[in-house]
Amino acid sequence: MTKTVFRFFFDFVDRQEKWLNRMAAKGYRLKSCGAFWYTFERCLPDKYAYAVAFVADKSQAEAKAYREYLEYLGFRVWTKNINLNFSIGKIRWRPFAKGWGQLATSPGTYNQELFIAEKKNDGQPFVLHSDLRDLILSVRTIRNAYRWAVICMLGLLAATFLPCIRTASVSSVWAHAGRAAIGIAGIAFALPAAKYSTIIGRMEEESQTFE
Amino acid sequence: MIPIRDNIKGGALTETTFLVLLALYRPNHGYGIMQFVERETNRRVILGAGTLYGAINALLKKRWIRLIAEEKDTNKKTYLITDIGKRIAIGEQDRIEALRNLAGKIMGADPK
Repeated sequence: MTKTVFRFFFDFVDRQEKWLNRMAAKGYRLKSCGAFWYTFERCLPDKYAYAVAFVADKSQAEAKAYREYLEYLGFRVWTKNINLNFSIGKIRWRPFAKGWGQLATSPGTYNQELFIAEKKNDGQPFVLHSDLRDLILSVRTIRNAYRWAVICMLGLLAATFLPCIRTASVSSVWAHAGRAAIGIAGIAFALPAAKYSTIIGRMEEESQTFE
Repeated sequence: MIPIRDNIKGGALTETTFLVLLALYRPNHGYGIMQFVERETNRRVILGAGTLYGAINALLKKRWIRLIAEEKDTNKKTYLITDIGKRIAIGEQDRIEALRNLAGKIMGADPK
């Protein structure tokens, strides 16, 4: 018996991972996932554990190599999107990424920004990053991606005022509605950015005394 | 000028790096390294898959370890420590030994 759930996470790593593990605890094993839906099949509660990895900073070759490595370790791996933009032939610049990872293309690494990894529950928490410094680096990349999204929203918001400045007129109702939508999206990105910044701050403090 | 601390110069390895180097004194693969670390540290250290992946790539880049075999169908890759890696590991052993001697001198043989 399968169950399909429609869901989209703005906090795409932490909340998505916790939710998948809650589903697994209730006896739902991930079977497949799409842009904003997940299909589960019944299994014994807590039989599987999930970890979500942010791989948008990697080039296509690096992401492929990482996926092959995770699969070699025996994990099942799915790719998952963080955007709800499905245009084909897209090229996007990712300033938070490294090397060729800065260019995301569709088809390519665009809309494949996450890996969802599944392992059989062995009683140990499913953590992909066990070293504090490595964890800081990984969380910092996620935080920078959110920061970049917030900057884009602010730029977009500023751009909505350009027609009014040019024609010295009052904004239309549609312009106000657009600004409200951009503002909501900006806040949706800013909240995880702030959350991950706090986590990084705590971990950096900890790294002064512990590895 | 920013002063370079001893650990940045290469004096102190992270525990993950040192354990991976130790695991590769004999040919070993990713999963084998994880098992080695878990077993030899009595489960005190359990390497995350992502952390190990980063460590392996960093050590390959530094040529402290090398790839000696690869099974294309299973993606199993076997690595071995290099002579440079052994020199680094010996240096780390000496550093830990010196630290241990210092602690022994200050804290005594029975720190309790």
